[in-house]
Order: sequence, then C-alpha cells, then structure tokens
Amino acid sequence: MTGKKTDTAAGRYPGYDVLERMDEWDSHTREIVRERLGPFPNRRILTEREWAYLSIIAGHLVYDNRADIIEWIVSHCDRKLADETGEGERKKGVPPEKFLIREGLKAMDHAAQLSYGSEFGALDINQQFQMLADLQMGKAAHIPQWSMVPQKALFNKLVSEMVSAYYSHPTIWSEIGYGGPMYPQIYVRIEEGLTEPWEAGANGK
Amino acid sequence: MENRDYVKHNCDHYSGHRYAHMNNRKYGSKEVDVCIVGAGAAGSVLACELSRAGLEVVVIEAGPFWNPQSDFASDELAMQKLAWNDTRVVDGRDPLSMGHNNSGRGVGGGTVHFTGVFYRFHESDFRTRSIDGVGEDWPISYQDLEPYYRKIEWDIRVSGPRYFPWGAFHGPYPYPERVPISANAQVFRRGCAALGIRSTVAPLAILSAPFDGRPPCTNRGFCNQGCMPNAKYSALIHHIPRAIGYGAEILSDSMVTRVLTDKSGERVTGVEFVHDGQTYRQEARLIIISAFAVETPRLLLNSATSRHPGGLANSSGLVGKYIMPHTGHDIYARFDDEIRFYKGTPVLAVSQEFYETDPQRGFARGYTFNAHGSRPVSMAKTLASGAGIWGKQLREIMIDFNFYARVTLVGEVLPAPDNMVTLSEEKDEYGLPRALVNFSYGENDNKMIGHGVAMANEILRAAGGRPAFVVPDTAHLHGGCRMGSDPQKSVVNRFCQSHDIPNLYICDASVFVTSGGANPTETVMAIAARTADHLIDSMNKGRPQREPVSTAGYSS
Repeated sequence: MTGKKTDTAAGRYPGYDVLERMDEWDSHTREIVRERLGPFPNRRILTEREWAYLSIIAGHLVYDNRADIIEWIVSHCDRKLADETGEGERKKGVPPEKFLIREGLKAMDHAAQLSYGSEFGALDINQQFQMLADLQMGKAAHIPQWSMVPQKALFNKLVSEMVSAYYSHPTIWSEIGYGGPMYPQIYVRIEEGLTEPWEAGANGK
Repeated sequence: MENRDYVKHNCDHYSGHRYAHMNNRKYGSKEVDVCIVGAGAAGSVLACELSRAGLEVVVIEAGPFWNPQSDFASDELAMQKLAWNDTRVVDGRDPLSMGHNNSGRGVGGGTVHFTGVFYRFHESDFRTRSIDGVGEDWPISYQDLEPYYRKIEWDIRVSGPRYFPWGAFHGPYPYPERVPISANAQVFRRGCAALGIRSTVAPLAILSAPFDGRPPCTNRGFCNQGCMPNAKYSALIHHIPRAIGYGAEILSDSMVTRVLTDKSGERVTGVEFVHDGQTYRQEARLIIISAFAVETPRLLLNSATSRHPGGLANSSGLVGKYIMPHTGHDIYARFDDEIRFYKGTPVLAVSQEFYETDPQRGFARGYTFNAHGSRPVSMAKTLASGAGIWGKQLREIMIDFNFYARVTLVGEVLPAPDNMVTLSEEKDEYGLPRALVNFSYGENDNKMIGHGVAMANEILRAAGGRPAFVVPDTAHLHGGCRMGSDPQKSVVNRFCQSHDIPNLYICDASVFVTSGGANPTETVMAIAARTADHLIDSMNKGRPQREPVSTAGYSS
C-alpha cells in the first residue's frame, strides 16, 4: 500500500490520548482494551492466506493502513469465527459466517481473475477498492460461486465486523476525541460547551 | 451443546445457596406452583410478585446470571454478549436485525442493556381498530393497566418530568426529572422549541436520587452495555434479587427446549431444559412463557405433540403471527460546535407530539422522538451496514464524531399476518429448528417513516444542524401470541392465559396486539404485574381454570 491513506489520521485532537486515563478504569474494562494493543494470540482458525486477505480488506474498508490496528481487526475476526457465538440474524439463503467468509475469499479470487486477470491479493489498490465496491452492490464479475456466497452478504459481514473492531481501538478513540471507558469515574459536565478537564479539549485546543 | 458463555457462572440460585451444578436444586423432581421460562422484563416481575404471594416459583433462563461489577465493562464490542445472539434466520422485504436492538440473554433479559426509556402507552393504543380503523383492539383498556403502570413506576422509582404533555398520564413521576440534560438532548429541545413542538425530559427507569442502596445516574452513558453503578433499573438487580428473597429459585445458563403436556393434551405438566449438555425437567402446576416475541412462539411451535400438531396454544394458527418491531431510524445532523453525544444517559429528551393519528398526515397512528446519543462502534457500524458508507467517506465522517447530534424515530408498525415467526429448516446446537423471522413494512409504516424522518431533520435544522444521514434500523419486537377475547383470533386472553390450555400462560411482549409508538418495557412490566395479580387470586382458589369467554370484555 502506498503511504498514509488519509491526512486526517492524526485527527482533531493531537494531544489527546484516551489511554492516559487507563488507570482510572475498572480492571475488567482495562483488560479488554489492553488486549487490543497486542501482542495478539496465534491464528486460531484463519489460514495464513485468509489472514493476509482479511488484512488487505480491513485496510480498505476502514481506510487505514497502520499494521498494529489492522492486526487487531483481523485478530478480532479470527476470534469471532473461532468462538462460534451466534450471528444474531442471518438472511435466508446466506450460509453461516465461517463458510461465507472462507468461500467468499476464494470466490473473490475467481472474480478478480475474470475481471483483472489475477488474484485479488495481486491486484493494485484501486482495483481492490473497486472490487469491494462491486461486492457491496452485488456487481462483481459473474461466477457461479456467488449463488452460494451472496456478494452483498459477504461485504456486509466483513464491513460490520471490521468497522466494529476498528472503532473499538483506543488509538481511534483518541483521534476522534471520544471519552472512552467511564467507570468508576463519573461525568459532571455533559451540557453544551462543557468538558471535563481530562477530556479532549474543544477542537483539539 | 456445551455452555458457550465466556464466563462460567453459577447456574442454580436460591436464598442462601448458589451452585455451579444442578445437583442441589431447591425443588428437584417436586412439582412447583409456577415455572417461568425467561428472566427478562416480564418473567422477573412475575417471579417477584408470585413468590411474594407465597407461591413456589422456579425461573429458567437461557443465559448467565450476570455480575455487573465483573461481567460488564465500559466497552461496546465486548458487551455485545449481553444480547440474544443465537442466530435467527430472517427474511422478507425488510429483514430484521436481531440481538442488541431488541433482546437480551441472561438474567434480566433486555432490561440489562435497554436504554431505560420508560413510557406508558396511550389510551388510543388499545383501541386502534375502533378509533383509526387499523390494527386490532386489545381485550384490555388503558384503565385496566393504569394501576400497574403506577405500581411499577413506584416500585422502581421512575424519574420523569413534573408535567408530561401527552397521553393519559401527565405525572408527577415518583422521582424528579433528570438534571442536567446532555448536549444532544439540549440541541433536540432547542430545535423543537423553534418549531413550536413540545418536548420534555425523558421519563426513565434510571435513578435521579438514591434508592435501595443504589446511586443516581453518573452519566457515563453506557446504558446499552450494562449499568455498572446500578443506577439504571434492570430486573437483574431489582426484581430477581427480591424474588430470590421471597423464595424463588433461578436456574440460569439453562435453555428450555420443550414444554411438556399430559397424555390428554389438556394441561401442561412441566418443561425440559438443557444445561451444559444435560437434559433436566422441572414440573409445575402452571407454566408461564416469558421468552420474548421470537423465542416464545418458537418454543410453543417446537413443543408440538400429536394432540397439538401445530404447536401448543395454537388452535387459532396465530402463534408467531402479527409480529411488529418499532421503526428505529436514526437521523443524524452535523453541527458547527461539538455535541459529544457519548456523554450522559443516551435518551434525556423526548417528544410525543406526533404520537396520535392526524388525518392530514396521510397515515394512521404515529411515533415518538427520542434524542438519542451514541458511541463510536454503534454509529460507525450502523453507518457501514445500514447506510452503506465505508472507506474514506466513513473515516472522514467519524473524524467529526463529536460534532453530530442524533434523533431516533420510535414509530408504530401496524400488525400484519405475514410478519411472523415460524420454524426454519436449520437446526441449532440443541437440535431444534431455528426461528425464521419474516418481516416487511406496510404502506402505512413507510408513510410514517417518511414523515418522521423529514420532521426529525427539520428539528435538527432548526437547532442549527445540517441534516447528514438517515440510518434505517428497527428496535423492540412485539406480537406473535396476541391477546384477545376470541380464541379463534388470538392466542391468549386478557390475563395472558392461553385459550387452549388453562395452565399455560404467555406473558411478555408477544401478547401485544399493536405495537404502540413508544418504547414498550413499561407496558411489558405492567402486563406482567397484572397477570401476577390475577394468578395470585386464581391460584389461591385452586387450579387455574379456563376463563369463560363470555366474561371477557373491557373491564377487569
């Protein structure tokens, strides 16, 4: 990937780091958030190749290419698929998520071959973005596999999990000026224009 | 079939006893007075009231018995575990999201992660057929529920405004309204005021002053992730501990897989449940199913016998039919100044100005506006999955996270027979067919959504915001075992007793005939309290008998 994806990466609150208040959090929350900083557990069910593909896709979907954050996202996906917690809901005709993602990644290679003459992982960044955009609209190159792994369902599963993980990373919380975990401390300034002394200052000031 | 919860909890709880196994059950093979399936908003109220009256009660809950201090966390992603995540197959033109937006798993059910917004229904909600020619009339009226609304509000010390402008109840609430309100709520109220729309501080099942050893709200804003200071009501910390104190037994991490009947099929005799791969039984004189609008019909359908081939309590063929979510559309606007809508109780200001039917609007019934704060995961995930925004565009929007305000449209969805819960061909880990949930909005629903979205944007614009995006979503779920006087047109009677089997009761949001246009938890709890009163009365007179149909009417 080439350089930084966005010049907004530093955010509006350059001096603000939500982790500075980590000692104020309850121990359970602290443990949960600390795990997102790595080191991450070994791969559980994803293959090396699947991990690499999900890393590429994560980078594009969340528009970021910082390796540590991408690794957290894919590690989260790996754990979620291994744990087999329910999916909440699944549209009729869509296979269970593990199958959807596994077979979906393979299908992306086939579709990429048809459209661009090489596998998804070997496409240039613009082609990869285009392919993800096509999946979202259900317009990727026509191959029989899509009847087993519907394109839109594949895209939605990936984007939901990856975006959820990304916006659970404390570095991102700091960049967007989110106050983060809040217990046992309390807020006493919640009205317009008021901030706690430790919160990100208004507009980064 | 092993227990898949992250944390190992005790599974058997009664006064003075807690066990991580099923070898010391309080009642064991003994037949108890009442077995309740599900420890949510309805089941917990029933358990508390019935055990207080001296009845032997066992509650069986699929999920864990949470400890707020060690199981909850200030984190959206980790706390997704509070939702009922077991996969449901969804279909229809508008397939529903299922889980955190409508149901909980674990003792306390959805009250553990609800927003605490606490409304009574309006008088008109019970008579939409008579008044507006849509939906169906309930077999009970607002007046039937009024004493129970009042009781629940006092029992849990609901906080609310000195004057509530809409519906039959104008306050005062037991506890004073919350001050201060958050910036997101201020913005909403300012927009409403500019347009001449009345708004108030939200009535909330969240303390505004100390009660029962619990503190007032600390405004940390994580209501949907489980309240750690215990300022927000949940059945987990209020009704269940009381029920245990009165003698009830709570069996958690235990999935009820079947309701059992006697040979004649005339009566139910108990339930079968699975804990850690082992199957157990609990026998009872009376069974109440309080397992939510999906699992309740699913359990009834999965309990079919040769005498009840279409499922229990289903001679009408209506078990699972007429399910109704609320519209849950989120309307966002961008402001020039920071709002920081992660701070404070998520809903602190509301309006029901558009609740009742107004013929000039071109649709029947209406909706509630909740000024509704959010957090990063919830906002970004729904923008991605609901509005199709990702990549650079999503990143740029989220950099301005602190500059957005949000209003949520809680709109009444009219009942339709094709919106229903049936059984899919796919099996779950217990070998039971998964629920298949079919839903499509009707024409009236879509017109109402259009009106509500436009109005929310006007309010936000009047407050100085620039309308940014609308994320379609749903919340809550009702119906599937509607109550009524006619056994051919409903599943339960006005006291939640099944028409078909006199000692089988169904008491949760599934008995709703219409959905109302407001958050339903208070109505669920009021119905449960009323059913408890009725049962205490009838069980003291012997076994519950079939209610003569002719006496069913509007008065109680």
